[in-house]
Amino acid sequence: MDQTFDISEREDAAAPVVTVAGEIDVATAPSLRDRLQARVAGGDATIVVDLLQVSFLDSTALGVLVGALKRCREAGGDLRLVIAEPRILKVFEITGLTEVFSIHPTVEDALGALPR
Amino acid sequence: MSISGREMEPSDVIELSIPVRTDLVVLARLTAATLATRVGFDVEEIEDLRLAVEELCLSLVRSGDDGRLRLRYTREGDDQIAIECSFEPAPGSPDNGPPPDDLSLRILDALVDEHGRSQKEGHSRAWLRKRRSRTAV
Repeated sequence: MDQTFDISEREDAAAPVVTVAGEIDVATAPSLRDRLQARVAGGDATIVVDLLQVSFLDSTALGVLVGALKRCREAGGDLRLVIAEPRILKVFEITGLTEVFSIHPTVEDALGALPR
Repeated sequence: MSISGREMEPSDVIELSIPVRTDLVVLARLTAATLATRVGFDVEEIEDLRLAVEELCLSLVRSGDDGRLRLRYTREGDDQIAIECSFEPAPGSPDNGPPPDDLSLRILDALVDEHGRSQKEGHSRAWLRKRRSRTAV
């Protein structure tokens, strides 16, 4: 399992896609927070966060995502998550956050419902 | 000392002391995973314990705290692990601990059999206990 933490971004016609790989924990979550805050500050109200390559996340990571969701919604948009790994989805389920986030199995699915 | 009819051995206890640095909490997770593997936890239980010990550590320190986290991992019997974590602040640093975090508490409630938090000898302390679900092979 590759534990290397990495964030990459790409532009799609519907919304920017922020892809995270590795472990999002108390050490790495601030990097993700900064990238998402910069996106919203730069005018992106809706963002897709691809977590398909994430192997671990903790409550700090959840806090970052919840904070980013709030900012996106305040800007009139949404923060959509892409999760396929049951172990990662489980963390959202046990914290009740599956009721809060729009969660999709693929990036295409997350982008699919957005206007282009 | 006998736990569940099995004599406790020195190798059943692992102690770890780490400076409060975000990039070192991974050591607490790695140690938990190693011990859980030895006790025969399955992959999902190992992942549960890795996340639970992370939340245990996070429950004791605030951003900017200075000091050390001391973790004591104990194998209890053939199928259970107890982890105790205490925060020893650096001289002059406060030991108030962060307020309970709702997400963190929900994670611990879901992933371990028991957990709690208290003051011990003047230091904040949090602990958990998790039992293996399947029968040992």
